[in-house]
Amino acid sequence: MRSSAIFLLAAFCATLGLSIAGLKVSRLAVPLDPAAETIVWDVEARIAFEGREKPAKIELTLPRKPAGFAVLDEDFVSRGFGLAVHPGDNGSARQAVWTRRRAKGTQALYYHVKLYPKRVESPGKGGPPPVFPEPPEYAEPLSSAVRTVLEQVRAESADVATYAALLLTTLNGADNENAKVIRKAAPGEAWPRMLSKMLAGARIPSRVVYGLTLENEFVDVPLSPWLQVHDGERWRGFNPATGDEGYPVNFLLWSYDDPKVAFTTGVQGVEVGFSGAKSPLLQSNVTPHGESLLDRVLLRVSLHELPVRTQNVYRVLLMVPLGAFVILLMRMVIGVPTFGTFMPVLVALAFRETKLVAGVVLFLIVVSIGLAIRVALAQLRLLLIPRLASVLVIVIGLMLAISLFSASLGIEQGLSVALFPMVILTMTIERMSIVWEERGPATAVKEFAGSLFVAIAGYFAMTDEHLVYLMSVFPELLLVVLAGCLAFGAYTGYRLSEIIRFKDLTGR
Amino acid sequence: MLNTLLALRDHGILGLNARNRDYIMRHNPRRRYPLVDDKLATKQLALAAGIAVPELYCVFGTQHEVKTVTERLRDHPDFVIKPAHGSGGNGVLVIDGRRKDLVVKPDGRGLKPDELAFHVSNILSGVYSLGGVPDTAMVEYRVRVNPIFDSVSYQGVPDIRLLVYRGVPTMAMVRLPTRLSDGKANLHQGAVGVGIQIATGSTCHGVWQNRALEEHPDFGVSLSHIAIPNWPGLLELGARCYELTGLGYLGVDIVLDRVQGPLLLELNARPGLGIQIANRRGLRPRLEAIDRLACIPTTAAARVALAVELFRTH
Repeated sequence: MRSSAIFLLAAFCATLGLSIAGLKVSRLAVPLDPAAETIVWDVEARIAFEGREKPAKIELTLPRKPAGFAVLDEDFVSRGFGLAVHPGDNGSARQAVWTRRRAKGTQALYYHVKLYPKRVESPGKGGPPPVFPEPPEYAEPLSSAVRTVLEQVRAESADVATYAALLLTTLNGADNENAKVIRKAAPGEAWPRMLSKMLAGARIPSRVVYGLTLENEFVDVPLSPWLQVHDGERWRGFNPATGDEGYPVNFLLWSYDDPKVAFTTGVQGVEVGFSGAKSPLLQSNVTPHGESLLDRVLLRVSLHELPVRTQNVYRVLLMVPLGAFVILLMRMVIGVPTFGTFMPVLVALAFRETKLVAGVVLFLIVVSIGLAIRVALAQLRLLLIPRLASVLVIVIGLMLAISLFSASLGIEQGLSVALFPMVILTMTIERMSIVWEERGPATAVKEFAGSLFVAIAGYFAMTDEHLVYLMSVFPELLLVVLAGCLAFGAYTGYRLSEIIRFKDLTGR
Repeated sequence: MLNTLLALRDHGILGLNARNRDYIMRHNPRRRYPLVDDKLATKQLALAAGIAVPELYCVFGTQHEVKTVTERLRDHPDFVIKPAHGSGGNGVLVIDGRRKDLVVKPDGRGLKPDELAFHVSNILSGVYSLGGVPDTAMVEYRVRVNPIFDSVSYQGVPDIRLLVYRGVPTMAMVRLPTRLSDGKANLHQGAVGVGIQIATGSTCHGVWQNRALEEHPDFGVSLSHIAIPNWPGLLELGARCYELTGLGYLGVDIVLDRVQGPLLLELNARPGLGIQIANRRGLRPRLEAIDRLACIPTTAAARVALAVELFRTH
């Protein structure tokens, strides 16, 4: 049967459209709801120092493509300092360099970055590649304690990952005497480096990274250390204080290997502090971006690729198929009579510009006056095309008259009558007057009311903010509308109007 | 509502969507449409096949011929002017007499020669044709009402609509003009539709403005049990139109002339569904009964016999 081919094609179109949209939602985090909010962190690094009336140079390590986040915006507050940003590459860090011939008194420089969380990525990405370390030397009695622990862990572990995990839990354990000795040798800040050094003893690449755990609000916190162990494929994060694998929630990795992020010359009393706050942001304001090939292809299927003017045109055009679909439903399923097939869509487009109430009122005024004049013209017995042209001229004259009249009264809505498609108005008047003559006023008014009703329904579909948003962000949904149209092409069910028409036949 | 929908389906009522997709699109090849959409072409086709049609008096094809309307129609005391591409009876002007220099419509209103010319001119400029394309005006013999319909028709001429599916007459009704329809035999314009039993040619129920009725709205006389004369001949005329056009789902409009008998008036490639109301039964069981047949006879007479056999019970 041909119907099954149609449904297959419709299903294919719908699946294709929905899959592209689904991929956009899942991979690029494009929100389905225009009101959906995402979290944005505003993070600030502040370097305060005292100038010594000497040439000053302040270098600040900056996060570079921080994993798990997307940078929305960054800026620097430099206050008379020259600023250069070194992008950095593998090996060397990204840096902001502020310089000034003469720095005097207490000064502060700021780096602001706006970030929002990205899904899937773990902070293990990025940074210098692993190097296989040489086993370090220790002094006694530390040396024997280290050796004992390493051998004990080696005996109990299977591979790099379990080795590292076991080593860290052992060293952080309370009841191991050797661990106590080692802990005493590297208290406080030195502990993560000690862990890294011990892993080097087992020839396992590891590094200490420094970053911020982003919370709702934080003021002047220092960077906190975290341990990363390379298992041969990727960096795994470990809590240096407990040995648990993983990262804190919202860990913004700032620098690798070095807790010191500010390097200064010519100034004194340097203080570095990090502050931040969380705020909501409309997710639709975040320009989605992706790195993989698929992501980039998906990004291409977007109105953002077009110039703004063209984008606005398509924002309207993409709604027309929805209007057409409404007409299809109204005619095929409900059975509303209309003048012309797509005349209501064009009227609905005009309503979109004039706003509904003003649009309906103006439409009624123009059509009824035009109809009256058309009836008068019928007395003149004009031939068809000159008559249509005359009605067109009169319609435009009427539109101008309404605009002038409402302008003199200061009613702004009256001006928007100019947005009506006048050829459509003309044809409506002509069709209506012929139906009026041939089938009587009742039929003419019924068809006119049907057209107006469908136009209003189309208007609501075409101006629904959520639908406008969905169609402009997911133009691939056109395929879904197409699928709907195709499927209705095989619809052979009754129209609701036929219930009324044929209801006497069922009473037998 | 759902119950009514299900009841419609149980009664085999054909809806517009199903008619369009399951029957018209399947059985009516598009390239055959011009044959029936152009009444002039239909007439020539019918004449060539020896099917009786109302005699064609003359044709007006261009605006400058409009001046000659009065001149060329002088010899005909009565006539009908219609657009070759009209639909639903639009633009049909019936003139049944003359008074001085006026031509007179069946309701007694007279038209001046320039009014007549204006009507022809309107037809030529496409006022009554689909899409407003320029048209041709044809003037033909005015059919005399058969006395059998005298008591049930208001002014105009009733016509008999046969629905012919794959050459088999499937359902029939007669459309009676009323005061509301202004003497026109068109259901949309207010004519009464009365179902006819295929097997016997006798009328049954009526429908008017989509409502069932038993008596004529203007005269109050009963609409049932009118026996259509020469019914088998009429059925055969309808059945032959299938070969004529190659359209499998065809509406055949036939008038019964007092003198000349059944005449083919026009053919319709998109016949309406009101015939179901007039007959108080759905089309689907009948169409499906025809589709179930292993083969359909090739001669019109055999198909008429088949229809009488198939649709004996009504």
